Amino acid sequence: MKLRGLWQLAWSEFKLNLRNPAMVFWSITFPALWMSLFGAIASEPIPGFEYEGLNLANFLLPGGIGLVIVASAFIGTPINLTTYREAGVLKRLRVTPLRTSTLAFGFTLSQFIFMVLGILVLFIIGKIFFNVQVLGSWAALIGMIVFGMITFLALGSAIGSVVGSWRTAAVVTQIFFIPMLFLSDLFMPISMFPDWLQPICKALPLTPLNIFLRDIVYGVPLEGLWQLGIMAGWLVLGSIVTLRFFKWE
Amino acid sequence: MTTAPYKGFNMSVIVKCEHLTKSYGDLIAVNDVSFRVEEGEIFGLVGPNGAGKTTLIEMIEGLRTPDSGLIKALGLDPTKQGDELKERIGVLLQTTSIQPDIKVKEALRLFASFYQRAPDNAEELLHTLSLEDKADSRFKKLSGGLKQRVAIALALVNDPEILFLDELTTGLDPQARRNMWDLVETMRTQGKTIFLTTHYMEEAEKLCDRVGIIDYGKIIALDTPRNLVNNLSAESKVTFNIEDKDVATSKFELVGAVSRVEKVEDGIILYTRDGNVTLQELVRLADKQKFRLSNLRTESPSLDDVFLTLTGREMRE
Ligand SMILES: Nc1ncnc2c1ncn2[C@@H]1O[C@H](COP(=O)(O)OP(=O)(O)O)[C@@H](O)[C@H]1O
Ligand SMILES: [Mg+2]
Repeated sequence: MKLRGLWQLAWSEFKLNLRNPAMVFWSITFPALWMSLFGAIASEPIPGFEYEGLNLANFLLPGGIGLVIVASAFIGTPINLTTYREAGVLKRLRVTPLRTSTLAFGFTLSQFIFMVLGILVLFIIGKIFFNVQVLGSWAALIGMIVFGMITFLALGSAIGSVVGSWRTAAVVTQIFFIPMLFLSDLFMPISMFPDWLQPICKALPLTPLNIFLRDIVYGVPLEGLWQLGIMAGWLVLGSIVTLRFFKWE
Repeated sequence: MTTAPYKGFNMSVIVKCEHLTKSYGDLIAVNDVSFRVEEGEIFGLVGPNGAGKTTLIEMIEGLRTPDSGLIKALGLDPTKQGDELKERIGVLLQTTSIQPDIKVKEALRLFASFYQRAPDNAEELLHTLSLEDKADSRFKKLSGGLKQRVAIALALVNDPEILFLDELTTGLDPQARRNMWDLVETMRTQGKTIFLTTHYMEEAEKLCDRVGIIDYGKIIALDTPRNLVNNLSAESKVTFNIEDKDVATSKFELVGAVSRVEKVEDGIILYTRDGNVTLQELVRLADKQKFRLSNLRTESPSLDDVFLTLTGREMRE
């Protein structure tokens, strides 16, 4: 019975996210549009492309999944957290018997459901219009997606815990979010960047997630699994910062 | 629990505070406060902004930890048995909101799901609080008065034994305020103990069975509003004009119970130990002497006067 209220809270927060146009745009519409628009440029299998039978949309799919995860974790979590704290919603929840752990778990779960929705939309559109395929193991794909979700949610809640107001949260989020999109092998290969920038690119949490998701989708053997350690490092950092700095009021 | 309305005696103690103290740095927000709240009564803490009302009430709710002293609410220690206490109390915080985009009915369902035994009373609460046609409105779209009613509905989802209402009517228009007062009366008849704070003396006087006056973190008086006023031994005022005649003020000094007469710009004021006696004799005098009284009114001392007497300051900032 310790989890009383968990499912109701998670579902309710999920629905509230659906009522938030910015959330819906950045974590559902934008990744889907991105995949569809660029995917439509070349929907036939690319001649001479090293992975036979795959088209451009298939190349974009793993990046799209990364976008869904980063956008909902980096926009949803910090902004919800700061808004709720500023308005006193967290304080109000605290005078109910809802446990702190249930509250944290419920918020996390709601973002999980939201991300799953965003990813499903990508797959459905990809399947219907572009015949995207997953050549590698589904288990590995799902495992990687879940690891990515947890890592980014920890980072999102860390931002939401450190930052005071939702306005600051919005700015801080963009400072991390936008450069990361460019530097994480999503749109352009890291090798394009100057030598000094490359280590930074590789240290970003989205880079290994993106690379591994792509390798799994392409069905190529995973190399350099130590890079999962980079994500784990960010996960630990995010969790410590959250636990250390989280405030109710 | 019993559901008898407050009778002022023979009740069991439901909240007990002893020597409670809480400081923020150098500021002593609550200073060695002791009092009891009895089952079924409406207990009010009244005092100016910054007096320490919110700090005090939130310590009892288990939201803030006292530096020293003892609290028992429903026999429980809020710092150690907070989880159990929260199951059994309802709270309206001074400034809170709920999720801005949540619909009223969804909020009721959500909050009810947090409690071990919450009656399925969403419909009933919507009805009691006249929120039926707002059930599907988003919280952020509601007016201040409606938001406050939603907040009260949420405080009632677990059918609490004690209801804590911090600044119930602050910021509401007079109509909404009156509605709130009626609501509090209704809840009292349902047998709930109500612990409220306000900085409106008038509200405390109207609603509360007993009032604690708090100033600079100390409870400086605690009694029924009537006793507080009576103990002042302050005088009532009878004020009037005489339209058609010039009557010597000395005449009025002989009217029953009058202690002092004052002639002011807009009339004559009689200070009296007993307003009723004075009023009757005054009317008789007017009849006999054939002058006409106009603008006749009496003013009894109020809690505002109690505060003024105790602190030497007006209650309004
Ligand atoms: N969290 C806090 N940190 C520092 N000072 C506080 C805090 N809460 C209240 N105070 C101060 O304590 C005093 C009492 O405040 P409060 O309990 O809110 O009074 P009231 O509810 O009667 O207006 C005020 O001077 C206020 O500024
Ligand atoms: Mg207050």
